[in-house]
Amino acid sequence: MRIYWSKVYAYAVIIVLGVIWAFPIYSLILGSIKSLAEVMNTPIFVPPDAPSLSTLASVANAMKTTLLNTAIVVIPVAVLSTFFGMLGAYAIVRRRSKLSDTLMMLVAIATYTPYQALLVPFVHILKFFNLYNTLPGLAFGFLIYYTPMAALLMVIFMSVIPSELIEAAVVDGANEFSIFKRVVLPVLGPGIVSTLIFILIVSWNNFFIPLILTRGYGKFVTLRIFSYVGQSGTFYNKMFAAALLGSLPPLIIFIVLGRYFIRGLLVLGTGAKG
Amino acid sequence: MQMRLRTFVLFFLPVLVFGGFLYYGIAWNISISLTNYSLLNPKPVFTGLQSFITLFNDFWFQAALKKTLMWVGVLASLGNVIGLLLATAIFQFKSPKVRHALTSFFIYPMSLSMVVVGIIWRWIFDPYKGIDIILNKLGLPTPAWLTGNNAFWSLALVSVWVYAGFTAMLYLSAFYNVGASLIESAMVDGADMFTIMTRIVIPNAKQGLIISVIFLALFAIQMFALPFSVLFMNPFTMTLVMYIYNKFVSEYFCLASATAIIVIVISAFIVIPYAMWGLKRWIIRR
Repeated sequence: MRIYWSKVYAYAVIIVLGVIWAFPIYSLILGSIKSLAEVMNTPIFVPPDAPSLSTLASVANAMKTTLLNTAIVVIPVAVLSTFFGMLGAYAIVRRRSKLSDTLMMLVAIATYTPYQALLVPFVHILKFFNLYNTLPGLAFGFLIYYTPMAALLMVIFMSVIPSELIEAAVVDGANEFSIFKRVVLPVLGPGIVSTLIFILIVSWNNFFIPLILTRGYGKFVTLRIFSYVGQSGTFYNKMFAAALLGSLPPLIIFIVLGRYFIRGLLVLGTGAKG
Repeated sequence: MQMRLRTFVLFFLPVLVFGGFLYYGIAWNISISLTNYSLLNPKPVFTGLQSFITLFNDFWFQAALKKTLMWVGVLASLGNVIGLLLATAIFQFKSPKVRHALTSFFIYPMSLSMVVVGIIWRWIFDPYKGIDIILNKLGLPTPAWLTGNNAFWSLALVSVWVYAGFTAMLYLSAFYNVGASLIESAMVDGADMFTIMTRIVIPNAKQGLIISVIFLALFAIQMFALPFSVLFMNPFTMTLVMYIYNKFVSEYFCLASATAIIVIVISAFIVIPYAMWGLKRWIIRR
């Protein structure tokens, strides 16, 4: 019998690395359904004898306001930045010139420049508008960063729309708004969903921006999760329950609509042809 | 026929406003870095390059700069090695569904917050409740994962765990571009899969390599939430961004801004060439 070494290689890599990849999420789920007694006596990877949802329930109760606050910030941020990005991208695609090329470059540089380097001025801006430590202020901080990113994503998604489609509508005498609505929007669906999902997940998971722009740990999910690191000492069940609950929205979106998230990642990396 | 300038401005305005704040932030950093603005000097006075001189004479700044650059090196190199291993393994499966499922599985760490990643791995590295128990039973060495300089290497490996799936995805998309016909004709010639991978597919994946090095480097430069959520402000894992945060919290704004400028300059070496290169690929010319 001939041995297919390439298959052996493939299975070996997938299995070995697969175990390393699965181990953390497996431990996270197990840890959050353990009782106090079992947390004291068992390592994180040993399944509980008597799984219980009480830790999850009590942490969920403690976290619910924060989860709501986060949704109130993140959903409008994803919708608005995608919408603004879409308009900006349409403008860039419809008017090819030195100016729009330069603007496009500036948008790309803004997207890839580490936003962490801009934290001091962000606080300065928010204090100027009296928005520091407020949910609208936090949303504003997110929009500063995610609007250019959405614009870049949308330019890439839009650039694959055949220009003949738009030209035909122009010849028909349609104005820009109706071209946008009738011609561009209908074919842009998957691109819009990708951008929306991508920004939803990355903003929900962001830690740095809420850490800088708010006080305390109550206004954003990642801060709340982080607060459990300090306060629960050696009881990893609470910490894991908080981490699991806070990760559920992005994880569920990733499991159900993962291909859109991956499309967004891929497009940020390789462009429309990727 | 092109869009009229007035309509262009109208459509582009929101991006211009929010993007404008970003550039304003960069300009603000530059101007503040040239002053002595801090808790003790609430009225900034121009001091030239004094902040930068102070920075480069500060032991902790040097340490943080070194850590960030080392993180770039470790993540960009190991992330590529593991990513390439994964991509070549996933590529052996012919079914698009299997390929997609495997790629998604290995990318899932990126859909978690770095704080969550930090919390889980902090416990995996725990000497009493973590992975050491398994390693002990197997008779393998149990390094003090989070002690001293080991902490840097442990967390750098965790960051590889987070981003390797992303690298694999970039390589796979480059592999798919090689074209089935080229691979099939090589198979007809009797080449085995190993030869096809090493002679045809991997050499054509140069674009995957370039892009993944760029992104892994950017991810490493931004490293904050992972070390912060595992070890707080530990000197052994303090990156440049953590140094900025430290100076910001202690209200030493001019040093925070000066460090921010250094972070921006380091990333600009990567970002600007990439954006110029990308412009040609992002917008398919009409």
